[in-house]
Amino acid sequence: MDSEKVIVCRCEDVLLSDVLRAIERGYRDLESIKRLLRVGMGSCQGRHCLPIIARVLAKTTGLRIDELNYPSSRPPLMPIQLKYFVSDGNEG
Amino acid sequence: MIIGGGSVGLMISYYLLKKGVKSIVIERKYPGSGNTYKCATGIRASFTSKEHIALMKRSIELWSELRDELGVFYERSGYLWLLSREEDLRTFKTYVSFQNELGIPTKIIDLSEVKCLAPTIVIKDLLAAVYDPLAGKASPFDLILQSWRLLVEKGCKVLAGVEAKKILLSKKGILGVETSAGFIESSTVVLATAYDTVKLLEPLNISVPIEPVPKHAFITEAYRDLFKPLIIDWTTSSYIVQTPHGNFLVGSEIPERPSDKLLNRLEFLRKASKVWTKYFPWMKEAYLLRYWTGYYDMTPDHHPIIGPLDDLEGLYIAAGFSGHGFMMSPSVGEVIADWIAEGRPRVPEALNLSMSRFKKGKLIKEIAVFG
Repeated sequence: MDSEKVIVCRCEDVLLSDVLRAIERGYRDLESIKRLLRVGMGSCQGRHCLPIIARVLAKTTGLRIDELNYPSSRPPLMPIQLKYFVSDGNEG
Repeated sequence: MIIGGGSVGLMISYYLLKKGVKSIVIERKYPGSGNTYKCATGIRASFTSKEHIALMKRSIELWSELRDELGVFYERSGYLWLLSREEDLRTFKTYVSFQNELGIPTKIIDLSEVKCLAPTIVIKDLLAAVYDPLAGKASPFDLILQSWRLLVEKGCKVLAGVEAKKILLSKKGILGVETSAGFIESSTVVLATAYDTVKLLEPLNISVPIEPVPKHAFITEAYRDLFKPLIIDWTTSSYIVQTPHGNFLVGSEIPERPSDKLLNRLEFLRKASKVWTKYFPWMKEAYLLRYWTGYYDMTPDHHPIIGPLDDLEGLYIAAGFSGHGFMMSPSVGEVIADWIAEGRPRVPEALNLSMSRFKKGKLIKEIAVFG
């Protein structure tokens, strides 16, 4: 598998090789890798990328998934447009 | 030894290293996890006390250096305060002349200039604005991740997932700190622990006047560059800033009591959306990605507690930043490093910010604390 050709985060265009390089540089928790590479900061908010990256990180470092600082889930459940918070119920 | 691996803790370690002192930083979760990663990213010296202004003038010099030394994103893209009431304009005229006297280039600008700075803004309810071209913004992610890496490369220790349990005293001063990973010996301990400073010093019968006040922020999807300055709507205590990636980070004040639990509140989303879609109607279409909460660690005079403790040799505090810790972290790091290595801070105004001011009743008054 060519890690330069595997996309692990589609929202922010991050490659598997980016993740492997971050781990090599010493970043060993998901919260820090998130802020380094922007994985989990796009519109999926980590639904797609973080489980994949967690597995890569666990496999590479030998750490358990619960030792990886898996990022908190925050609202909203799905991206939502601001107009729904300002509408009077008739628009949008 | 430094307790707390946020921007303040890591900058103390960074400036100690510049003086040839290698330190250990312990961090309960991961570096940046307390307040730094949740912050609004703004950087300004336009305050209303000489202490804040002196520390922030130095910080702004250091932010430029950090951009070069560590590759931290930092830009002097300005702050813009939107004013819509006559009385606020009068108040701000006083602030501006105070700031100008101390070398901060704030100025009152008219609405056509506001339009130049933020072309898509609707100005119909506005009276005027205040612009600070020396202010700007930086990336908390870069600051933490890059300084952390450099410190480790140069032989300092940054221990993540290690929690301070108890400060142990000797007859003369400090013996060290009992942590979740065992005892760490150190005769010098710095608390860069925001509200947790209160809990760590309680067993030593030292009461620290810091209260945590809940704050709210959300971020939208990324857009192309639409405006550079961090914008504050003074009437509603709200702010908006476009991140280097293009997302809009938004905050707005809603009623909260100190020590209240961090809860997500629909009231916040309604208010913040209402304020900013009024100024930027296109923002109604923007998708909100994430909503988070955090604390301002507030002191009675909204100024930080910085420096050694009078009655306990070797113990230093850098906490209670009242919403300004990230922007101040470089100069506070330098000042604490000065104190430890040379016995006094290079910014003399920092001497007014020690814990003893609460005993002596020499509180500092700050009028402008935002969102």
